[in-house]
Amino acid sequence: MIIKVYSTPTCPWCIKTKDFFRRNNVKFEDIDVSRDARAAHEMVKKSGQMGVPVIDAGGKIIIGFDEDKLKKTIGI
Amino acid sequence: MSEYDFLVLGAGGTGLAAAMYAARLGLKTLILGASHGSELPIGGVITTTDIVENYPGFAKISGMELTKKIEEQARSYKLVTIKEEKALEIQKNKNHFYVKTNKGKYSAKTILFATGTKWKKLEVAGSEKFERKGVNYCALCDGPLFRNKIIAVVGGSDSAVKEALVLSRYAKKVFLIARHDIHPETINLEKLKQDKKIEVLKNTNIKEIKGEEVVKSILLDKPYKGKKEMKIEGIFVAIGHIPLSDLAKPLAVKLNESGEIKINDETTETNVKGIFAAGDVTDKKFKQLITGVSDGCTAAYYAYEYITKNKLYVSS
Repeated sequence: MIIKVYSTPTCPWCIKTKDFFRRNNVKFEDIDVSRDARAAHEMVKKSGQMGVPVIDAGGKIIIGFDEDKLKKTIGI
Repeated sequence: MSEYDFLVLGAGGTGLAAAMYAARLGLKTLILGASHGSELPIGGVITTTDIVENYPGFAKISGMELTKKIEEQARSYKLVTIKEEKALEIQKNKNHFYVKTNKGKYSAKTILFATGTKWKKLEVAGSEKFERKGVNYCALCDGPLFRNKIIAVVGGSDSAVKEALVLSRYAKKVFLIARHDIHPETINLEKLKQDKKIEVLKNTNIKEIKGEEVVKSILLDKPYKGKKEMKIEGIFVAIGHIPLSDLAKPLAVKLNESGEIKINDETTETNVKGIFAAGDVTDKKFKQLITGVSDGCTAAYYAYEYITKNKLYVSS
């Protein structure tokens, strides 16, 4: 499953989300929307909102850090 | 059921410092890091502060970095356990408290409410519809998404001014909209005066937020440059906080009219024996990380005294 994390470097929930994936040895692509306007636009389009983090887990969109939801979605 | 001397609800700076101090005093301590209603990860509200300049020992440090250090220090004590669980219910039976969370049950001899607050929502037409679609609450998190846009910050407190200062790094223009005056700390007022991108609109209220998929404009209750409708692409709300004290109510803990837990200023005791409160959830007026940390340590000390006096130790 390809996992993308749309984040900003200063957002505590983004840091927590990425920590969660690292802790569970789950590979992910970290997309910094503060530096990449096109990616920011893509995130807004995918999630229909303007807040980080947004997680795209194999096409399933999760808004915000929700550990239980993440575990369920990626099956760990 | 695991038993503790000191159970801390909330893993912000206040709760972490309290736990650290309780461990120094020999108390077996549990922190529940996602206490009732909390919307913040371990570290609490200070994790959403860009730069902290008022904590001794650090001239300038990010809120995230500072809380990481406080967390690490608390975790370095063997008597401290941190669990990211949400407390759902607390019951008292004689000298014991029983705490049910989303994942388990614990008992404790003393309880500290360090639950903090959550952001107060803006209640105007359109604010709910456009939440996270231009109506946001964390400048540090979402500010970069508003690069080169015209945005507004609602509020007049020191926190509102700091949010505006963070956002001016990214935005084309920031309007700081305050229903009365603004009242930042002097040092932040000076920064505000020097920031040419920020314009303060005093005695002004937002009546409506308009848009399509995302926010496009706001309606003010008085005209700005002759017009009540203003093109705004993002609104950051900083109009205060709601204390997270719901779990204290069934325990007959006294609250003030704002829902803050009433405490003895010297000891942080509440009206209920064995229950303490510290930090943003209390009725103290001046609230900063530095004062929360101080009150947390005070709570640990008086919890220790209470346990010792009543011979309630579990950790020995």
